[in-house]
Order: sequence, then C-alpha cells, then structure tokens
Amino acid sequence: MTQIAVRPTNATPWKNRNRKNVALIAIASVAPSLIAVIVRFLLELPGAVTLLLIFLPLQLLFSALAALILRGKRGIADAFLNVGVIFSTVAISILLGSVLFSVISWGLKALSPHFLYQNSVYITPTTSLEYGGVGHAILGSLIVVGLVTLATVPIGIGVAVYLTETDGRFRGPVRFFSQAMSGLPSVVAGLFIYTVFIASGLVKPVGWLGAASLLLLMLPTIARMSEEVLKLVPGELRAAALALGAPRRRAFFQVILPAAKTGLITAVLLGLARVFGETAPLILTTNISNETNINPTSDGMTTLTTYIYSFLGAGYDTSRQRAWGAALVLLVVIGILFTLARIFGSREVGKK
Amino acid sequence: MSKTQSRIDLKSYKPKDADRVFFGGASLAAALSLLLVLMIVAFLLNGSWTTFQQQGLKFVTGSIWDSASETPTFQIFPMLYGSFLISALGLVIAVPVSIATAYFIQFMAKGIFAKVAISIIDLLAALPSILIAMWGLLVLTPVATGWSELLTKHLGFIPIFANDEPNAFRSPFIAGFVVAIMVIPIITSVTREVMSRVDKELIAAAFALGGTSFSSLRRVVIPTARSGILGGILLGLGRALGETIAIYYVLNLLFETNFYSILEPRGGSIASLIISRFGEATPVELRALMAAGVVLFVFTLIVNMLATAIVQRSEKRMAS
Repeated sequence: MTQIAVRPTNATPWKNRNRKNVALIAIASVAPSLIAVIVRFLLELPGAVTLLLIFLPLQLLFSALAALILRGKRGIADAFLNVGVIFSTVAISILLGSVLFSVISWGLKALSPHFLYQNSVYITPTTSLEYGGVGHAILGSLIVVGLVTLATVPIGIGVAVYLTETDGRFRGPVRFFSQAMSGLPSVVAGLFIYTVFIASGLVKPVGWLGAASLLLLMLPTIARMSEEVLKLVPGELRAAALALGAPRRRAFFQVILPAAKTGLITAVLLGLARVFGETAPLILTTNISNETNINPTSDGMTTLTTYIYSFLGAGYDTSRQRAWGAALVLLVVIGILFTLARIFGSREVGKK
Repeated sequence: MSKTQSRIDLKSYKPKDADRVFFGGASLAAALSLLLVLMIVAFLLNGSWTTFQQQGLKFVTGSIWDSASETPTFQIFPMLYGSFLISALGLVIAVPVSIATAYFIQFMAKGIFAKVAISIIDLLAALPSILIAMWGLLVLTPVATGWSELLTKHLGFIPIFANDEPNAFRSPFIAGFVVAIMVIPIITSVTREVMSRVDKELIAAAFALGGTSFSSLRRVVIPTARSGILGGILLGLGRALGETIAIYYVLNLLFETNFYSILEPRGGSIASLIISRFGEATPVELRALMAAGVVLFVFTLIVNMLATAIVQRSEKRMAS
C-alpha cells in the first residue's frame, strides 16, 4: 500500500489567521481605546492621565491576553514590546510634531510679504503686525553666518587636509583639540568673546564679534566632518595619482577633492545649519538693533535668533506673534540647508 | 583603516616648491586652529584663575552668590547641581522613548515611511534651541503646569512631587522636559544608526532558532548595540548640560539648592546663569561667571570625550 500524504487542514500554519483570531486581534486593538474614551468622559479625567493610567495599562493587558491565546506564553513579551514601542513612538511624534506645528501655524499668521523685507524701525512690542518685519534680521543672519563661513571653511578644510594628507608632527594634538573644542558650550564661546573684546572695552558689540564667537563653534565641527569625509576617499585613488607622477597638490586638487566634494559640501551645510540657529553667543556679543545694518564692523546687528529672543522676551501678544513669524523663517532656512545637505549627502563619496 | 589608506610616503620624497605651498597652507590652517584653542584655554584659565584662588574649593561646593558686598562671594553649587538635575530629568524622559522610537524606525517601519522618519529625526536633531525654547515657554508650560498640579495633588506625599510654592511654572521638571524634547532626536538618531549596523543575519538567526522579537532585541540587538547607544546618550547629555537659551526661558534661577523638589519653581543651570547675569555683572563677577563657564566646559568635555571614545570603540568592534 502506498501511503498517501494527507493534506494538513491548515496549509500555512504560521499564518494562523482564521476568523476567530482576526476577531481577537480586532478586539484587542479597539477595546482599550473605547474603554479609555468612555472612562474619560464619565470621570472627566485630563487627557494625559487617561492615556497613561487607563489606556496604556488596558492596551498592554489586552494585547498580552490576545498574544497569550494566539501564540502562547512567549507571545506576551512581544506584545508588551510592540505596545510600548508604538505608544512611545506615537507620543514622541505628537510632541515633536507639536513643536513643528506650533512654529508653522503661528508663524504663518505673522507672515506677510512686508514681514520678510521691512525692518523694525519705530516698531514697539505692541505695534500691530501690519508694520515692520524681519528683513534686517534676515540680512544680519546672512552677514554673520557668511562671515563665519568665509573664515571657517578654508581653515576647517585646511585642518582636515593637514590631518589626512600630510605627515605633520602635530596631527595628534590638532585632532585632540578640535575634538575637545567641539564640546565647547555655545554660551562659553560667547562669554569668551564678550570678556576679551567687549568687557575689556576694546570693541563695542558689533556683527563681526558675533561671527567670531560662532567661529569657535563652527571650526571644530567643519574640521572634524571634513576629516571624516577625506578619510573616506579610497587610498587607491591617491596612490594611483601619485604613481602617475602627480605632485601632492595636484593629486589633492584634481583627484581627492573632486571625489570628496559632495561630502565636504554636506559637512559645510550641516555646520551652517548649526550656526544659523545659535542664539546665546549672539546675545552676548552683538547688540540688537531695529535698523537695517549691513556693516558688521559698526553698530548693532540683529540676527533671526536674537530677533526672536528680544520679541519673545517682551511678552506681549503682538511681540510673540513677531517671534513666531521669525521662528518660521528660521525653520524654513534650516529646512532648506538640511534638504540640500541630504541631497548632496546621498551621493556617495568617491563618485562624481 | 585598511592598509591601502596609509600614507604613501617615501623617506626620500622631497616636496617641490608648489607642493610646499600646499603643505604650508594646510599646516598654517592647523597651526591657526591650534593657536586659537590654546588662546581660548589660556584666556579662560587666566580670567577665572583669581576666582578659583579667592573662592577656593567652596566655588563649586558652596551656594552663595553675592556680588554687592565688599568681599564678593561666588559659589555655584546650586547651579552646577541644577544643570545635572535638569539633564538627568531630561535623560530619564528621553532615553526610553528614544530607544523605542529608534527600534520602531529601524525594525517596524517599512520602506519610504522609514526613510522619511529618519530624515525628520535628523532635521529635528538640528532644530535651533530657540525654537524649542519658544515652544517650551508658550505651548508646553501651560500644559505641563497642569500635569505638575495633578502630580502634586495626587502624589504629593512622595517627596519629589511635593510643591510648597504657590505655583508650578518655571520648575526643573518643565526645564527637564524641554531638554528631553531637545535630546530625543539626537539619541534616537544615534541609536537607530547603531541598530542598523547590527548584523541582519544575527537577527535572522535568532528568529530561526525560535526567538521572538523581544528575545532577539534583548539577546542580540541590545548587547551588540549597547556601547553605541551609551555613546548617543552621552552626546545627548553633553548637549543638555550646555543648553542655555531654552532653560533660560522656562526655569526660575535661585541660589538655593533644589535637591529633589522637581515641581517647585526653583532650580539652577550654569549656562542660564551666565546669560542672565553677564549684562549687569561687575568685572569681578564677570570673572566668576567665566570660572563657572570653565567648570561647565570641563564637565561637557569629559562627557563628550567619553562619548566619542565609546562610539569609536563600538564602531571598531562592529566593523571587525
């Protein structure tokens, strides 16, 4: 007699999906939120309390029970893990989303064409939003950040070249110190410039001092990130260029630099995004002014962040709206820099 | 580093003139940066030296800040302790949810959704602190004050939730929450990165042996990624310790150490102390603020160095 293979009743046992199980999963996913909603309205509990003390325990319990029935004891830990992970991810998305949402929704209310190009002369914290804007602050930010970039990019990349392309004797100390300086709290950098130049009476608070304090923060960042990028360029490229008889500088400028270009641009853009949002050092080193000033060597120069600082601190509804408007502009700038960095960063180092 | 990346350097190699300019430029940049660092260190130490000398060890252990009297006293313990209290609160909130979010993005989210989530987390990690300060002051504070009052009302018998002050604004709890929002993207980003480098085959093998998601997380992912995650947490701590402007808006600075009453509106933070005092500071007080800055820098330096060392070690171990 030949044995005939009996087809099992359930051909895909791992799927384990029949009507009863689907119903069980559905109950476990819906019931806790229903109960929580009902309890909330019966007892008039605050939302956060309902979520943490009623919904979460119930959801854990229901999911664990469902998992116990479906997968046995070993399913319980998985159920806890899934519920915990999803719950905290959703909670965090709501909180972080709330940050972005408040900036965007409040900011849009303040935004209008003249808000982007007018300055704040004759504007008091209670002036209505029909007048005045952040034009001078945008300009100030661009000037200060532009100055920092002009100074840090050549020096920062130079340091990275020194660390990767030369056999300099001080590579160890240079690397160590640039690493150490990248942990300098921004307020300490500002205080340093303030004490050396302003408190000593050498210079009045002006734009270039703000740039100087940001330099202390951006230089180590650029140097470190550029070093990482240059390290990623395959050694064979360098070797091949030198083997063809190219002098070191040509090997660098014609082979290594093009290969590392996109990575370096990403590094610079990320550094820019960081200094664009710095506030504390600029409060210490620049004077906030209402006028448009394109001269970083004299008078006050407002940047977007110090604009927010001054109008937020004023404490009136209209001044807060101005601050939200400036915050939105700042967010957009950071977003653009960041997107550009993503686009460049997604191209691989070593390819054109 | 692979062997091919080592410098091709023959002892006999003599740079030509133009190459000398190239090397000279790089060395000049390096020398400049080194000089800058040494200058900062020298100025900071020079500026704060008299304070350290006059105040002695009491500078970090005492709690009196008096610039008006003839022999001014500057002691920063409440601020130093406050900085750590707020950072600790921030980490207590941030670490579990960051690891959970990283796990979600890395192992549960699929395709384009995961990619978008990674981009958003990275963008949020670069979010200027003044934006979070605004949100903390205008959006979070009213809500969190409600939470604080509830906690005091129902759990007030636990010392940390007790509140004898008339209100609950500007408390270390709110400051800690704001700091948590600030460091969550950082820790999440690093943790996800480290988790993504855990060998996929190891995880698959764990499942093949009959493991569950939980057991593979506990026995494979966490042990492999542990030091990387710790590095990320320390990076977050470094940022939290140096945070200035956000804490300045949501915390009431008081020179009286608040050891554990996190819901009471009094606390300390060195960075916020600097920003709130520098404007009207006398020259002596300014030097004291500088000394406070040096103390803060020393702590962030230790934390950052530890973080980099740990992350680098874990990268090396994972690469091998």
